[in-house]
Amino acid sequence: MTDDLTICPRCAFKTIDKLATSPVPGVWDVLQCRQCLYTWRTIEPARRTQRDAYPEQFKLTVADIENAIEVPAVPPLRNVG
Amino acid sequence: MAHDDLRSFLDTLEKEGQLLRITEEVLPEPDLAAAANATGRIGENAPALYFDNVKGFTDARIAMNVHGSWANHALALGLPRNTPVKEQVEAFAARWDAFPVAPERREDAPWRQNSQEGAEVDLFSMLPLFRLNDGDGGFYLDKAAVVSRDPEDPENFGKQNVGTYRIQVIGSNRLAFQPVPMHDIAQHLRKAEEKGEDLPIAITLGNDPVITIVAGMPMAYDQSEYEMAGALRGAPAPIATAPLTGFDVPWGSEVVLEGVIESRKRQIEGPFGEFTGHYSGGRRMPVIRVDRVSYRTDPVFESLYLGMPWTEVDYLVGPNTCVPLLKQLRAEYPEVQAVNAMYTHGLMVIISTAKRYGGFAKAVGMRAMTTPHGLGYVSQVILVDEDVDPFNLPQVLWAMSAKVNPKDDVVIIPNLSVLELAPAAQPAGITSKMIIDATTPVAPDVRGNFSTPAKDLPETKEWTAKLQQLIAGRQ
Ligand SMILES: [Zn+2]
Repeated sequence: MTDDLTICPRCAFKTIDKLATSPVPGVWDVLQCRQCLYTWRTIEPARRTQRDAYPEQFKLTVADIENAIEVPAVPPLRNVG
Repeated sequence: MAHDDLRSFLDTLEKEGQLLRITEEVLPEPDLAAAANATGRIGENAPALYFDNVKGFTDARIAMNVHGSWANHALALGLPRNTPVKEQVEAFAARWDAFPVAPERREDAPWRQNSQEGAEVDLFSMLPLFRLNDGDGGFYLDKAAVVSRDPEDPENFGKQNVGTYRIQVIGSNRLAFQPVPMHDIAQHLRKAEEKGEDLPIAITLGNDPVITIVAGMPMAYDQSEYEMAGALRGAPAPIATAPLTGFDVPWGSEVVLEGVIESRKRQIEGPFGEFTGHYSGGRRMPVIRVDRVSYRTDPVFESLYLGMPWTEVDYLVGPNTCVPLLKQLRAEYPEVQAVNAMYTHGLMVIISTAKRYGGFAKAVGMRAMTTPHGLGYVSQVILVDEDVDPFNLPQVLWAMSAKVNPKDDVVIIPNLSVLELAPAAQPAGITSKMIIDATTPVAPDVRGNFSTPAKDLPETKEWTAKLQQLIAGRQ
């Protein structure tokens, strides 16, 4: 699902998927940013769901995502006989 | 009495007045986490919490703070609810000596009642997932027992690992997952990835209370958590065979997820508010594809809140971190009396020890840093005398204030290993480590003026017990 009205609160990416919807119809959806995988429920407080209310220290840029360290690092391939 | 599953333990907690049912409708966020967060702020005998009326869900059942108090921890080990902490650790250490106790395999695991396979796997349809802390990247499975095998020795029961790791739900059948390099599953993953192979994995949710304790316990690579669970329970741990992987999983789990860690793949995960009281991440972490889910009818979803200590995780991993360090230190240094490793999973450790000769306590401190757990944790060690209780912090601070001459008794060693999550590490994974020797110098170390200490009166011990009895009888 792509909803033009929704951008990722964390990285501002515009492609958002719907992961789940409430078992009681119409109460909430669980959305996910396709770029940074941030996941939120639509009825969470604004500080977790709205780009302008999202805390600065948790925002991510494309560079942050690409440069994030690997834990654990992928080891070299070993030739197996 | 040993509990074979989470449900029977919840019954015990309820009978003992240690389970609080929240019947009013709550929001999945922020109420569930905030309530569990609050249990850490209302005193050390807080109850477990049970929610079954969560907005938007029709049949959510959520248990939190199950191990989150000294009373609950005692009950998990089958001890009276008011057992003092030092006695809980001592009972734990005594039962350790029964290790290994072979598990008992059973065929009728209740999680065989329902399943989802392949494309139909949808974790959101089965679990009431929710967020814990504001900055968390998503919804987490943070109290699972994760089972994996050594790909080079898959039939070795001892090398099969049962551990607890943080797991972010990043899709209906996909998880991101954090194996710290010091942990056993990271060794399994490295061996599989060196061969370019996926690593099969089983993740069990809602386990009996002792499985959760051993899954969070720093054990040797080839020691079986199930055989330790048997020792701690005083009865064989019931296990069953997981249908897809063939792994040994707890018989009494609410939910069993099976799949693989996809080889040589990393994807953004986190951040997550961690046991260090700080967020860590986002980092590029391994990814799991879930291929099969087995679950009890009406599964109970167990989760724990963690953040700024103390929270449930501190009660859960506090004692189980003390005991291995105590055993490993005593193996070479029988002078060691007690070990308190309950602060941030043993990043700081307080050890009481008798002294063989001058300088001995510092050697015990260095040994603590080179134990298997110490390599990744133990960045500060405080040594106190044999008559100081390391769990009694006023006594520990008395020893530090009276017995430490900083120039000679504080030792700092640069550039040692620590887990990447340690907030003070620089760079991540590297830290200096410190020993504070707050023991009384003994010959040939002749520093200070310690010849006339004041001691407790001989009758005090008897009176302590008498007063404790009187107070307990009043309740
Ligand atoms: Zn995003």
